[in-house]
Amino acid sequence: MNFELGSFRDPAGKVFYEEKKVFRYVTTQGQKKYEYIKSNGILNDSIKDGYLIETREIKDEKIKSQISNCKYILQHQLIDFISYPYEWSFNQLKDAALHHLNYQIYLLEKNAILIDGSAYNIQFIGTKPIFIDVLSIGEYRDGMYWYGHKQFCENFLNPLLLSSKKEIYFNNWFKGNLEGIFTSDLNSILNFIDKLSPTIFLQVFMLNKLENKTILDPNKSSKKLKKLRNFSKKSYMSLLYQMKKTIKKLEPYKRKSVWENYSKQNTYTKEEEILKIKTVKDFVLKNNFNLIADVGCNDGLYSFASLESGCKKVVGFDFDLNVVDRAYLEAKNKNHSFLPLYLDASNPSSNIGWNETERKGLKQRFNFDGLIALAIEHHLAISKNIPLDQTIDWLTSFAPKGLIEFVPKEDETVQSMIILKGDIFPNYTEENFIKFLGNKTKIISSTKVSSSGRKLFEYARI
Amino acid sequence: MMRVFYLTFCLLFFNIHNAHAYLDPGTGSIILQALIGFIAAIGATVGLYWQKFKFLIKKIFTKNKKQN
Repeated sequence: MNFELGSFRDPAGKVFYEEKKVFRYVTTQGQKKYEYIKSNGILNDSIKDGYLIETREIKDEKIKSQISNCKYILQHQLIDFISYPYEWSFNQLKDAALHHLNYQIYLLEKNAILIDGSAYNIQFIGTKPIFIDVLSIGEYRDGMYWYGHKQFCENFLNPLLLSSKKEIYFNNWFKGNLEGIFTSDLNSILNFIDKLSPTIFLQVFMLNKLENKTILDPNKSSKKLKKLRNFSKKSYMSLLYQMKKTIKKLEPYKRKSVWENYSKQNTYTKEEEILKIKTVKDFVLKNNFNLIADVGCNDGLYSFASLESGCKKVVGFDFDLNVVDRAYLEAKNKNHSFLPLYLDASNPSSNIGWNETERKGLKQRFNFDGLIALAIEHHLAISKNIPLDQTIDWLTSFAPKGLIEFVPKEDETVQSMIILKGDIFPNYTEENFIKFLGNKTKIISSTKVSSSGRKLFEYARI
Repeated sequence: MMRVFYLTFCLLFFNIHNAHAYLDPGTGSIILQALIGFIAAIGATVGLYWQKFKFLIKKIFTKNKKQN
């Protein structure tokens, strides 16, 4: 039995894994609220209506006897790849925020609420957001305020406002802070004109003022808190609808990025691209993959080709948030099981949070059976000066079988990369690429896909 | 004396950042919701009276028209 190290905050229960299955146990503290959502049909309705991850109660006395204070054991649908909000593009975070709000509205109608506003409680299955934390659902009692509001603002609203109003991606900031973007930080960045918007005035400027007041004079705020009148259900609902309306209208700040038009304006010809797609399709067809990692996925051209060739799911990774966003919208539009995510390959997500185990690094989450890494290796080896052997080791660590494109030094793109820094890469040769790849894997085949000498190497780990 | 002056200066001119105060960090958010609820209630009341006022004016003018 492996306990999920990030599941420790809620005394109502904990997540654990056994034999590639995911479970959650409910303690005596969580018993009452679990029984409430179960007996009122909220649990089953939420699953049926697509808000909540598939969950079923299981009777396993053996497991139960191993956990103290365990009242129920639930089994959840296993998510192939856990992603975090700092790996999502603007529209992914926006859809996750809207899913959270829609679910809150749905629950409130059934006299239930979400007790927090954490973005980590939402995961993506393909392009579909889903709520995963059953024990975050609680009973609504008359007069209740939206207790998860502050967390919702920091996890969802503030990052979206930041990337909507300013030319700043929220991702690296979010990753550094873990709980999103503080209202005080956002307030410092937004200007007077931004604050004329009623939403920003209330949810950022005023909230920051009130938060500052509580810090300056906690006693006065505490007295004020005790005197507050009950919050009506109508007001709660209207606050949720207002937030939903605001988030729906938010669009990412328009900015140009380097790789935005890459799939349309690249250095190879149409014939070469067709050959590349065919090589990818042949590789996928013969392997019957469940989950492929497409590293350097750009707008998902080869991910879509993989899905067409029988792969069940693809998780894409790219450094350019504009193309990740576009790929996500396209996959959503086509209803493809493709989840593109943000990844700076030279600085991947690491273990962070409490005890450095709360949120897992990228490698800890690898669960792929196939890899496609096209036109990415030279960005690491040449642009980022990562030794070729380390680049290959890192790429092959994604999956036991894969397809990696080698871009030779003679290629136009590599030539432009070394204009300023010069050719300081004597080891960057096809011979060395084959040697390093062959050290840890068996090279199955190589296919030349461009006149400049680009080749796709298929490997299988030994 | 200088210390008091310095502290006053700091309190007046520097932004206060999130610190670990001895109060639930969500307090500001709850007070804000109460404020929004209060504003909405005033808005609804004003709206109600405004509708009543409009209805009254409309009624007076329709009456006058009929009399003419």
